[in-house]
Parts: sequence; structure tokens; C-alpha cells
Amino acid sequence: MASGSMRKTGPRMIMGWIQQRFPSTPWADLTRKAVETDQRQMPRSHAEKYELKTIWYWYPLYCLGGISFVAFILLTITGIILGFFYVPDGTYQLTSSGDLTNRAWQSMVYIMNDVPFGFILRGMHHWAAHIMIAAVFLHMCRVYFTGAYKKPRELNWLLGVVLLLITIVFGYSGYLLPGNNLSDGAANIGIEMTRATPIIGDDIAKILWGDINTISGIYVLRMYWLHVFILPLVGTGLMILHMALVWIQGVAEPH
Amino acid sequence: MEIERVKERVMEGRPGFTRQYGPARTDHQPGIPFWPQEIARDMVVIFFLVAILFFLSAFVTPFLGPARSIGVGEIIVPDWYLLFSWGLLKAADVLPQFQLGPAFFGSQLWGDLLSGIPVIALLLLPFLDRGRESRPAKAPIRSAVGLGAIVAIFTSSLYSVREIIGEIWHTPDIDPNPLVVKTLPLIPDGTLKLFLIVPPILVGLATFVGLRRLGFRPMRTALLAILPATFFVLAAIAAAMLFLPGGLPELSRPFALQIAVFLAIFVGTAGAGTLAALLLPETSARKGVLVAGVGGLTAFLAALWYASVSMRGDLSWVLLALYTNMNTVVLMPPFVILTAWFALRRPYSTYEYLLNECYQCGKCHTVCPVTKVEEDALGGLNLVYNTFKKQHDGVPLWTCLACDACSAVCPLDIQYSDYILAQRAGHMRRLAADGGEKE
Repeated sequence: MASGSMRKTGPRMIMGWIQQRFPSTPWADLTRKAVETDQRQMPRSHAEKYELKTIWYWYPLYCLGGISFVAFILLTITGIILGFFYVPDGTYQLTSSGDLTNRAWQSMVYIMNDVPFGFILRGMHHWAAHIMIAAVFLHMCRVYFTGAYKKPRELNWLLGVVLLLITIVFGYSGYLLPGNNLSDGAANIGIEMTRATPIIGDDIAKILWGDINTISGIYVLRMYWLHVFILPLVGTGLMILHMALVWIQGVAEPH
Repeated sequence: MEIERVKERVMEGRPGFTRQYGPARTDHQPGIPFWPQEIARDMVVIFFLVAILFFLSAFVTPFLGPARSIGVGEIIVPDWYLLFSWGLLKAADVLPQFQLGPAFFGSQLWGDLLSGIPVIALLLLPFLDRGRESRPAKAPIRSAVGLGAIVAIFTSSLYSVREIIGEIWHTPDIDPNPLVVKTLPLIPDGTLKLFLIVPPILVGLATFVGLRRLGFRPMRTALLAILPATFFVLAAIAAAMLFLPGGLPELSRPFALQIAVFLAIFVGTAGAGTLAALLLPETSARKGVLVAGVGGLTAFLAALWYASVSMRGDLSWVLLALYTNMNTVVLMPPFVILTAWFALRRPYSTYEYLLNECYQCGKCHTVCPVTKVEEDALGGLNLVYNTFKKQHDGVPLWTCLACDACSAVCPLDIQYSDYILAQRAGHMRRLAADGGEKE
């Protein structure tokens, strides 16, 4: 067999090998057909759907939920990169000159001074968090003042309140991570407020914070896992549900 | 014929009654299309957001500070979105502390509970407010409570940084010993705590009154209750400050005359506003309130300027007395003026707002007799609406019969012919002011 024929038939053989195992379906054609079938088309805008001629002067505020979601995506991207370099260890260590330090704080210094673009990454993560929380709060104000929580959207309002709390806890757990004095002060307030719960306060504090004070520095690890796994998992799921309900029920009109 | 179509209720093809769907639809589709217009707009918003983020992260460095250490002396301030909760935690020290079984109701547990109450209120909201109205101006109670709550969140955040406020605004050194520095905070703790209650209530009341007036309600009876009550509280506190033995802080007593002048301006403004709002005839009451407000503000600024010149910039002792009663003495006069002005607004300046409620159901177009004979009125809603939306040349202002058929069928009860008559009257008034109609 000549090598030239191998060059000709080779790609076909490889494609055939793949085709036999994963028989291809004309996905593009099927999608186009589905889209063009009766009454299906490109998603229509809100103004088209309800044939609105008027633009209410509150409509610009209807973008706040979207802005908070965009900020959340930016936070996810920057957070994944920060996670490569951050060390969630808040226990006290001594520098060579005898000063107190901890590996979480050292990794923050490393990110800001040595990681390429680390300074801007941390800045974007920080400011996107502020923008997200502000947008979520303003979004809630908009929904409140336009009465968008009314029947049939009660469930979505409840979801939104839970998402607001999750966003705040996101921000709170986030600024406990750098292992600086601000984290310590804020963690102290949080631990004290947890411990104030009658009867089971200390047990809850041990489960949630790892200890009943900030001296051991375990709270950094606890808040890290909350911040990078539990809250994103729950939060992303609820956000998708939140937006799915908006899609299903439609945007609330101030009629 | 048009009338047959109306009788047989054939709506297909009429404006607002589209029955064509799919990519092949040929009829005119109002509204901004999703693709590409809305997508382009969204991309602009997203890119702008990313640009702001890059700008902020390049030029405003997030705080890192030294590594955590034992026994930190500096004041720790949490991020702004947690300040309200921290403020409630700090303000909770006014609540009684006691042991109930195993639970100790200390300030921390009270802080937890106070922060939890708003969350519970938010969760219950859709089940408490079951009214139909959704526009903010049509739901005065909801809007008033909402604005009051926003003010409360702000003042509670303010209270959480009370130490910083005390550092920034304080009196000069009161200790005679030159080595010891002792100052008094200009805004005492009790005044800051009252910020959590008084300003939200004032803002809520003003909002409620103003929005009810926007909805065409006569609000003078409400003013009859609110304004005199506010005025008497204000006057009583001003009198108590001047004439009761412990009314003024000890160090402010030498400045009683200056304080009395300021109090007279505050009480006088509120009194003049109240009298103007309640006693003047309907047509001139609003102007009277405005004059009282502007006069009060001018007098206040003039007195402030004169006092700061004559006392060489050191107003601390006057301010100490005024700031201590800030919730009543300083906040109530502007509240009186604003509330009275909102309540006396001319409602016909809000027709535009009412017309904006239209959601193009098309009923008015179906019944309008003029659109049956006037060709260029076809293809839209009723004449008034099209004129208002500048989709018409303005002729309908004079072709409209003011038969009120549109208002009769309007599901939102918009009084179109009132608008037409008001517009005609305004037009004639302008013509008369110009010296008659020009040919």
C-alpha cells in the first residue's frame, strides 16, 4: 500500500472510527427545524412580547439583577484564578524577626506582589464583590417598589431573599480570608453573635467557625470552604432557579 | 366597514391584536427586538461594568494591612453592607438585659434578633401585601414603608460608626489643664440612636402624603393632623431647651441668645409653613408654603453666616445645643415645608404620569368615534394617547369630541377627556397671554 493512499484515506478512517462509536446527528438541522416549527422563533424581547410602545422610566432599573449576575460570573473567573495561589491557613506563625504572621496573609502578599496580574485580579475580585452586593440590594429595592413580588411571583421573591442573604454571607466570608486584622475583628463579631444563641451557641460556633474565638485561626479554613464550595454550589443552583422562574413567569409589569 | 368589524369583534390585524407568530410574521411589531438591539445594549452595559472594574482595581487598591495579631487596638469597621447589622448590635444596648431560663438576653442576642426581624419581614412581604397595585406611586403605603426602611438602614449604618462620628464632630478641648485633652461629641449617643426612629418616620409620612396627592386625593385634611402635631412637638422642645433649667448643655448656656435666634428661625419656618398650608385659600397655599420655606432657609443661612463671622468660626457651643436635638429641631421644619408642598401640589401636572399607565389594550381605539372617520388616526391607540406620545401631529387636541367613550372603557380608568380639556385650557391661556391668536 502506497503511503499516498494512506494520506488520502487516513482522515476518513479516523472520522469513520469516531462515527461508528458516536453516530452523528444533524444537530444543526434539527435545531433549525425546531426553531422554525410552529410559533417558535428567536427569543423575543419583553417589549416585543407584550407589544409595548411605551418605555417606562423605571425600566433602566430592570437591569440590576443582570448586573449582579454578570458580577457573579466575573467573581467566579477571578476567584478560580485566585484559588490557585491562596493558602487557607490562618494559624499564627513567626517571621524570622519574631513578628506574628500567617500563611493566608503571606499568600495574599504573594498574590499582590509576585503573581503576574495578581494585583489586578485581587482588585477585580474585591470590587466585583462590592458591585454585586450593591446591585443585589438595589435589585431588591426595585422589585419591592414596583410590586414585582406579588402573585404569582411570591416563590421567586422568597428565593431572592435567600439569595440576598447568600450574597451577604459570600461577601462576609470573603473578607475574613486575608488573615489581617480586619478579618480578625469581623470574625470576632461573627463568632460572638453566633455564641449569643441560647443553649446551643457554643456548639454552633464550633461547627461553623471551628472554635469559640479567633485565636486558633481555624475560622479562615472554615470560611474558605464555605466561600469556595458550599456557597457557590447552593448559590449557583438557586440563581439558575431564580432566573428560570423569571423566564417561565415573565417579567412583572407595573400594570 | 369599520363598524362591522367592531360588531363582529374581528380583532385580527388590528393594532394590539396580533395573531401572527414565527419568523415569517409580516405585521409591524412594536417594541425593541431582542436581537440585535437588546443584545447590543446588554453588551454595552457588561463592557462598561468590566471597564469600571478594571479602573477601580487599577487605581483604588483593596485594603490588606498587617497580618492579624493579638489584641488589636484600632477601630475595626466591617464592609458597608454589614454596617446596618453592626449598628443594630450596638444600638441594642438600650434594650433590657436579663436571664430567661438558659437564655441570656444580652446586647448580642438582641442584635441577632434585631437583624433577623427585617429578614422575617422580607420573607412575609408577599403574603402581607396582597393589594393589586404595583406602581410605586399607586401604592403609597408600600412606597412610604420602603423609603422609611432605606433611611433606617442608612441611619443604622451611621450609628455603627458612632466612634468615628465622635472623632470627626466634637467640641473644642473643655479641660482647663493644657496637658489633658477632653472633648464632647457634638452629636450625642442618644441623638444618634433616635436617628433610627425619627427620620424614617418623617420620610415615610412625607412620601405617603406626596404619593396620595399624586393620585388626585385632597390631602389637606391629612395636613391638618400632621403639621400642627409636628409644630407643637417642635415648639415644645424649643421652649424646653430655652426655659427649662437643664434644657441647654452647661457649656452652651452663655450662648443662649444665639441659640434662641436659631430656634426662632426653625420654629418660625415650621409655623409659617403650617399656617400657610392650613389657612390660605387652596390656590395660594402652595405658594405660601414655598415662600415660608425659602424665607426660612435664607434666614437660617444668613444667621449662620452672621454667627460664624461674629464668633470667628467657632460655633461649637451653639451647634452642641442644636445637634443634640437634631431629630426634632433641625429635621422637623424642612419636613413640615416638604410635606405641605407635596400635599398641595397641583394634580393636573401629573396627567402625564396617569397616561403613562396605558398598556395598549386597544379598547379605547375600538370605541373612539373620531378614529372611524379620520384616516391619519388609524394605526394607533386613541387620539389623546397618540398626541401625548408625539405619534400624532397634535390636531386631535381639537378634533377630539371629549365624548369620554375612551375613559368609559379604559380598564385603568384613565380620564382622557380631562387631559384634553386641561390641555385646551392651557393652550388658550398661553394664547391669551400672547395677546390673542395669530392668523
